[in-house]
Amino acid sequence: MIDNPYVPLLFFMTLGLLFAAGSVGAGQLIGPKKANAAKAMPYECGLQPSPKAEEGGRVPIKYYLTAMLFIIFDVESLFLFPFAVAFNQLGLFALVEMVLFVITVFVAYAYVWRRGGLNWD
Amino acid sequence: MSTLLTLAPEFASVVALPAADVPPSVPRADFSDTPIWLSAVKALLLFVFLLLNTLVVIWFERRVIGRMQNRPGPNRAGPFGLMQTLFDGLKSLFKEDVKPAAADAFLFTLAPILFATMAFVSFAIIPLGGTVNLFGHQTPLQLTDLSVAALLVLAVAGVAAYGVILAGWSSGSTYPLLGGLRSTAQVISYEIAMGLALVAVFLYSGSMSTSQIVEAQRNLWYIVPAFISFVVYVITMVGETNRIPFDLAEGEGELVAGYHTEYSGFRFAMYYLGEYINMFTVSALATTMFLGGWHAPLPFNLIGDGYFDSGWWGLLWFTIKMWLFMFFFVWLRGTLPRTRYDQFMAFGWKLLIPGTLLWVMAVAFIRGAQLGFLGDSSIAIAGREIPIATLIVIGVLLVAVLVVLWLWETKMTEREEAAAKAADVPEEIDPYAGGYPVPPLPGQRLREPSTYPALPRAGATATVVDTPTVENKEA
Amino acid sequence: MNQEFTMVEINYWAIAPLLVVVAGALIGVLVEAFVARASRHNVQLGVGLVTYLAALVVLLAKSRTEHGLTMGGSVVIDGPSVFLMAVILCFALLSLLVMAERFGGPAADAFTPMGAATPGSDLERSAESAGWGTTEAVPLMMISVVGMMLFVSSGDLLTMFVALEVLSLPLYVLTGLARRRRLLSQEAALKYFLLGSFSSAFFLFGAALLYGYAGSVDIARIALAIGAASPVLDGLLLPGVALVLIGLLFKVGAVPFHAWTPDAYQGAPTPVTGFMAAATKIAAFGAILRLAYVGLSGNRWDWEPALIAIAALTMVIGAVMTVTQTDVKRLLAYSSIAHAGFILVAVMSFDVTGVSGAMFYLVCYGFTTIAAFALVTLVRHEGSEATDLSQWAGLGRRSPVVAGAFAICLLAFAGIPLTSGFTAKFAAFAPAISHGGAAGAWLVVIGVLASAVTAYVYFRIIVTMFFEEGAGDVVAITPSTLTTIAIAIGLVLTILLGVLPGPVLEAATQSAQFLR
Repeated sequence: MIDNPYVPLLFFMTLGLLFAAGSVGAGQLIGPKKANAAKAMPYECGLQPSPKAEEGGRVPIKYYLTAMLFIIFDVESLFLFPFAVAFNQLGLFALVEMVLFVITVFVAYAYVWRRGGLNWD
Repeated sequence: MSTLLTLAPEFASVVALPAADVPPSVPRADFSDTPIWLSAVKALLLFVFLLLNTLVVIWFERRVIGRMQNRPGPNRAGPFGLMQTLFDGLKSLFKEDVKPAAADAFLFTLAPILFATMAFVSFAIIPLGGTVNLFGHQTPLQLTDLSVAALLVLAVAGVAAYGVILAGWSSGSTYPLLGGLRSTAQVISYEIAMGLALVAVFLYSGSMSTSQIVEAQRNLWYIVPAFISFVVYVITMVGETNRIPFDLAEGEGELVAGYHTEYSGFRFAMYYLGEYINMFTVSALATTMFLGGWHAPLPFNLIGDGYFDSGWWGLLWFTIKMWLFMFFFVWLRGTLPRTRYDQFMAFGWKLLIPGTLLWVMAVAFIRGAQLGFLGDSSIAIAGREIPIATLIVIGVLLVAVLVVLWLWETKMTEREEAAAKAADVPEEIDPYAGGYPVPPLPGQRLREPSTYPALPRAGATATVVDTPTVENKEA
Repeated sequence: MNQEFTMVEINYWAIAPLLVVVAGALIGVLVEAFVARASRHNVQLGVGLVTYLAALVVLLAKSRTEHGLTMGGSVVIDGPSVFLMAVILCFALLSLLVMAERFGGPAADAFTPMGAATPGSDLERSAESAGWGTTEAVPLMMISVVGMMLFVSSGDLLTMFVALEVLSLPLYVLTGLARRRRLLSQEAALKYFLLGSFSSAFFLFGAALLYGYAGSVDIARIALAIGAASPVLDGLLLPGVALVLIGLLFKVGAVPFHAWTPDAYQGAPTPVTGFMAAATKIAAFGAILRLAYVGLSGNRWDWEPALIAIAALTMVIGAVMTVTQTDVKRLLAYSSIAHAGFILVAVMSFDVTGVSGAMFYLVCYGFTTIAAFALVTLVRHEGSEATDLSQWAGLGRRSPVVAGAFAICLLAFAGIPLTSGFTAKFAAFAPAISHGGAAGAWLVVIGVLASAVTAYVYFRIIVTMFFEEGAGDVVAITPSTLTTIAIAIGLVLTILLGVLPGPVLEAATQSAQFLR
């Protein structure tokens, strides 16, 4: 475990966590506590909050579309990372195969573009 | 391979694998002489370095933007206003911690802590300098290194997005929710382009370990062969950190303060802090990937057999390069207006992603040609051996770029002509053509209608514009 | 880390049919993106027909002789895989002809004009009046066919899983795209998707356990490991086998895992139901046969009793549930469950004649099913399909051709001699009797009894069609040439395989040997 490269990372993360949690905790301890009803209501520029704010509201469907497209392209770039790192040993076959893979993804991308999936409206 | 090495020496390091003693997949930085307590000390030192930089950058930004806007910026708290940040931080510590009643208490507190912690983590793998002597041990000026270090940074950026979306949802109110969703959609859209831009760098360096990438840039910084990657990376790094011109998530006046509307006191300060540390992280990553990391710029690394290109001097060069990016961030904020959200998303999805993918394919072909996958023959030009395959690939790419530019140019002129024609004012119009009477434009004549049509009754709808019909949708 | 990269051997002629269909699917997607709406239907139909015919030609001309392992052992081309791939392509071709039926309208009649529009909204209405259609069905079907072809030729469990997902996901989407009764269709798609995802998860979990047991996902190596029978990891074997088989039995609709079948078959557009009923069964049974005979045959004494019980239950429940059905598509769904049970009887015989019997049964059943569902699309009441059995009363008088053709299909399902159903049942039950032992004999007895029950149901339908008076408003509309060709081919083969089963049976017998 001594030469595990993730151990210093763990130290660093712990430092960050202690700092963040500690400051937030300190803020909660040190700061004044004068609660009133107006502070507990959601902020809507001084207007009365609309009732649908209670359960958080429904998520419009275009966010789901963006998330799905993100997954597809992120997985594509996941495949590109090991290809790039091992490129020297792989040879022409891998280059051609990766080009075919990217072309396949481009076909799907063209379809999504033409259908308006990339329009944010 | 030997024929390729007779290329100009600066290209040799781009082409050839790094020295055979350390294969590229393994980090080059040597941590064998670094005991655990020294790692802990280095972690503390790095943490302090980051916090100090953050203190200075907040002051720096406010001063520089002030001067760009012809005003002094903070100059009252301490000499030249240097203590401003510290006092602001302390002030927020003493503010009341307001939590709305509708908020989910655990997530409401967890989100800023998560965001701030994840912002710090990425800095652990950035190489800040060469190998130095710390407390009697030879250790690189880098906290740790992994064979997938660059991937770690991308992964942690993804986890930081959780901090945003959780803040938006757990506030229990509409504006933060929408702000959080929009911010997350923005971050993930540009994260793809960022990852793809870095793939070109990995193609050149053959490794994802930051120390190997820095070492591979000893003779030629990657900003030269991977220039388009650099441009794309700079654009996406501004998008990832929610900075102007892409700060749509917290666009004041649009969504109040976006996902951190309901946050006050030090919880808000965590988001503020996290944003600046994110800026440092992406700048540090840009420095490492494209500007040669801690290596000295050209005149200095030739002096004294590389004296300025090793050890503690690396920290100086690294800090200078990182602060160049920070100044660039601040400059953008002082100069540019904010983009519109749909323009921003269209730019990311329709231009950056396919463009970067095509660029990665082009780099793959160029590398393939250099490595001899496409044949080994080469010709001599101006005393250097250049593989024919490289020339052919570069030629094909140039032709492709020219064709695309020509097509785009044609479409632009067509569009302009159509707009000019549409803007033409006809000489004579029928005033009741649209159903409502319209006055004539300057220079127009009105044609007298034969019968006056009945005007629509008040309250009757002519065409319903709200109902979506397929005519205004894409094919 | 820095070892030399050794490339696997790839026999391109062996996988050429797969590559052809993949290329066709990609071209289909590009057509969707770039071709104008007016001509999209015809272009897609052309692309689909050309792709399937080209793949079939390549398969029969070149790949038939290229037996062996390829792609590092992931893909196995042997007798059964070639035979089943050819059959899948034929069924895909026929289903495409039925799917593309427009009945004179602007777009394919079976599919909704705009899948993304909420049912009953203005958007849907305006899409309908603009003549839109879901021509994406063609490339979706091609992707599913690729998955099916890979499923029957997979050499290891991971390839099998990838193929399972590739074949299932387009089917989930296709199930939700019906033109009429859209809510029912979307509900069917959701049910199919949820249950299908669960079964895929079971399959994957079982594959992981088998990997733990054998140290490899390769089917041949798993067989070796089972043969070596080390007692150390024994606890992983039986659960792994059980979970993998559960995932596959779901796809064929075997009995505890059949709940999705009636709902999905009823809600899906009818041509898609025909395709699902015919082709998915082939793919899934191809995988079951490969696992049962090659991969897991070593410890078959352990899981054979469970599978025999499942086969018996499937036949019984499938047959019994058909009795109470009032909807013709649900009835055909339960009857397909019963047929899956009959095929499982053939699988349980563990002899090479069992493989050929199962494959022959799949061929006969598939042609009849596609024809039957194509005929169901024709019977309409005021433009929408009349699937309730009471509405079929008196059809014999009004449209004798359609009713007669449907009667032939039902007789084939029942297993009446001179139809393919009889020869198929004979080919499936004979191995069970000769090689299946006592359990095989019992299964055949149950099978015959179940057939009798289903025969009663089918005869009742025939009586309803020909000998009852019906309301005059249910008519059988006339299809275009394409559907007529599909129905004709299905019916001709139904009769032909009943009278002259020789050639196809011979082909099945010759292709029944698995590559080990």
